[in-house]
Amino acid sequence: MRQAGSYSGILMSGKTGPHLLPLARIKKIMKKSGDGVKMISGESPIVFSKACEMFIGELTQRSWMVTMQGKRRTLNKEDVASAVMATDLFDFLLNLVSEDTFKSS
Amino acid sequence: MVDEQNRTLPIANVGRIMKQILPPSAKLSLEAKQRMQECATEFISFVTSEASDKCHRENRKMMTGDDICRALSALGLDNYAGAIVRYLHKYREAERERVIASQNKATSSSRDEDIEESDQSGQPSLQADETPTPLMNIFI
Repeated sequence: MRQAGSYSGILMSGKTGPHLLPLARIKKIMKKSGDGVKMISGESPIVFSKACEMFIGELTQRSWMVTMQGKRRTLNKEDVASAVMATDLFDFLLNLVSEDTFKSS
Repeated sequence: MVDEQNRTLPIANVGRIMKQILPPSAKLSLEAKQRMQECATEFISFVTSEASDKCHRENRKMMTGDDICRALSALGLDNYAGAIVRYLHKYREAERERVIASQNKATSSSRDEDIEESDQSGQPSLQADETPTPLMNIFI
């Protein structure tokens, strides 16, 4: 069943959908992920655009909770580090934020 | 600002996504945005490596959206995997409609169908029903 409205308008006009992240850059990052990454389907960067949006959203929300606990209004990098440390799923980021975790709050 | 010579996601885009989540009165330090930019880039690399390993093991050359979904699950990010599977389904449906529609058009100009360069393809906007949601609802 066709969906009417702006959705089909974008389909018919051939305009690029308003993705929040540039697909070419995502593709570049994917290709640099390892020697084994050779061919990438056209939908892969689009999938990552969405996944990154969700990831950034979640990490931002968790970081902001740390900011609020500290009764501050500015989200800083130590808050991001704290959120990473508090979330098991984000263990792959521990090295990335390790330099931010030894500052006194 | 050169984003690490194009090796990371652009900081402006990352900042915009962060601001969508934060309350209007919240402030965001530049270093926090930089850190998030690096984390999101690492997220892509991390998931891509996992997906790539699987393709290798199965002797497949091309990584697909499904591979990325499976990698997300394998890495414990099941919540993302579920949402992405639905997103991918909607995207593929929209692409099918687009192809059918352009085939039906008598005088349609030919579109660049090279799937390796997807940057200009008419990607459907799925933003209408994918508005930012609080943490509680984000994994439905």
